Amino acid sequence: MTLNQALALINSRKGNRAEGTYCLACGFEPLHLATLLRAHLLERLPDDRNVEVECGVYGDLPGNIQSAARLAACGCAVVLEWGDLDPRLGLRSSGGWSKEAKADLIAGCIERYARLEAAIVALAGRMPVALAPPSLPLPPIGNTIRAQSSVLELELERRLAGFLLRISRTSGVRVVERSRIEAPAAALDARMELIAGFPYTVPFASGLAARLVDVLCQPAPKKGLITDLDGTLWSGIAGEIGVDAVSWSQEHHTQTHGLYQQMLGHLASCGVLLAACSKNEMATAEAALARRDFFLSPESLFPVSANWGPKSASVGRILDTWNIAADAVVFVDDSPMELDEVQRAYPGMTCLAFPAKDPAAVWNLLGRLRDLFGKPELTEEDGLRQSSIRASAEVREMAADGGSSEFLRTLEGTVTLAWRVDSADKRPLELINKTNQFNLNGLRIGESDWQRLLERKDCVVAVVSYQDKFGPLGKIAVLLGSQLGPKVRVSHWVMSCRAFSRRIEHHMIDGLFRHCGAEEIEFAFEKTERNQPLREFFRAVGTRSGQDGEYRISRADFLASCGCLPHRLAE
Amino acid sequence: MNHEGILKTNTMNDIKDKVAQCFSSVFPNLRAEEIPSASQSSIAAWDSVAQVTLLSAVSEEFGLDFELDDFEQLVSYSLIVDCLESKLGHG
Repeated sequence: MTLNQALALINSRKGNRAEGTYCLACGFEPLHLATLLRAHLLERLPDDRNVEVECGVYGDLPGNIQSAARLAACGCAVVLEWGDLDPRLGLRSSGGWSKEAKADLIAGCIERYARLEAAIVALAGRMPVALAPPSLPLPPIGNTIRAQSSVLELELERRLAGFLLRISRTSGVRVVERSRIEAPAAALDARMELIAGFPYTVPFASGLAARLVDVLCQPAPKKGLITDLDGTLWSGIAGEIGVDAVSWSQEHHTQTHGLYQQMLGHLASCGVLLAACSKNEMATAEAALARRDFFLSPESLFPVSANWGPKSASVGRILDTWNIAADAVVFVDDSPMELDEVQRAYPGMTCLAFPAKDPAAVWNLLGRLRDLFGKPELTEEDGLRQSSIRASAEVREMAADGGSSEFLRTLEGTVTLAWRVDSADKRPLELINKTNQFNLNGLRIGESDWQRLLERKDCVVAVVSYQDKFGPLGKIAVLLGSQLGPKVRVSHWVMSCRAFSRRIEHHMIDGLFRHCGAEEIEFAFEKTERNQPLREFFRAVGTRSGQDGEYRISRADFLASCGCLPHRLAE
Repeated sequence: MNHEGILKTNTMNDIKDKVAQCFSSVFPNLRAEEIPSASQSSIAAWDSVAQVTLLSAVSEEFGLDFELDDFEQLVSYSLIVDCLESKLGHG
């Protein structure tokens, strides 16, 4: 994006409703970076929206970070340059590069990093932070030729790496990968730095702004991947050449399949659901998946669907088992015909070709999968998801066989209601922002708004965990609202699809009445395309809209209609 | 006017149009008829940041760099147009 394109885009959105404010904290003059950051943010928004970018003052990066933390912003881009660590590492200083100065600037970094770290940690408690490490070259103060690293440069890089490693472990801080900044020009514009205190070329500033926005405004990660087997997970057709002859190794020149298997194993370890969908005999598929040299644990694939019917039908059954929507799923197959058939049946699904004979394209596919499934932080629940999906499928199957109330008691379940939220725990907000089916109204919350809502004196919040004899599901539901006397108004209520069919929602409302001593609960309900499960719960317990359009239920009515509460309660 | 003269006039008009477009981008509240007489002293929003933004936008539009001194001296629409005509050989 050029500067003129950015200015034109910003002017075209003048007068539109502001979607929110983002902060740009840097030690240089923000100038074109602020303009380009705003324009790249606008590109992600609908045409009728606007966004503001707030900047700080020249030369005070820690102070600007502290100021940003006081704003009600959606997120903050922090851009660090060497000159922020010591002005002698920038172009505008006249401090000298003597031997003593070099020793001093190395020593000074420790204190500077500590101050920055404290400021960024505080900021990340308020809003998501995208931190860009230095992009500009160091001044030519090494004793070596430029093609050779000097000890001084390596020492500065070492301290920077240590700082980035520490800060990246802070919840809410997302470090920008420097090598991913795509720009057709070098970073440094020495002329502009000396004229105006702005150190970047415009093309580089645009690339940096784009990456900052990528990191700040990440799309919801996909939840599951359905893979074909023959020609995709391995090379060869197992039913024709035998399960021992299919391959995925360097030795057989089929390593691209081995790389893909390793990628799926990695995704599984990050909590991504995996399933197989193959036109095959089930016995053949199972025998191949049981091979001991398989890079992927066979248990990682659930369910495995192998039959001779249309793949779209198999995909439909897998989605039912997972209980997630098609647009949260990626389908990978080497056959363009199968991809087309599934894509037509599920237009929202991401269908990707497996280009087995093109190693570069496979490498790009693996990178694409990382981007589709990547998330800023892993939670404890990510490690539980696969096993709990199996357990949920079993629970649904068993519940369908034998009467549900009695059956649910046999699960020996425990519902744990936590009436407060640890600000470092990202799971509750993740649930609110990615749950679609059991969702009161589909409303999402930004991280900074989430913190502010939790700080309200009248805030009522419940985070629910569950476990039973099949194992823990982790934190699976969140309810957020406010209390005014005997009335609780619920503004957000979500529950993971993994926890359906267990009457956990009944336990939640029962717990809410008791914890708050409330006589009535009012729900900010809105019908969405997908919140049928929540509507079914409302219908079951008799929650209805009054003449004013509000949905509410009294304690007496709930107790009369709630039925059995099959689990042990812990608070 | 001969053929060469017509070409030169058109090119000079192109320069003025493109500079006016840059003014509109940087000062969106400025009316089109105000641009030819615009100067740093007549536009409140024309501060040092706007000056750098304006000359960067013009620089990008014409694919040329301004000298350090230009940032001090090019403080009106007409001065910028004159400078460009000189740099582009149309003066």
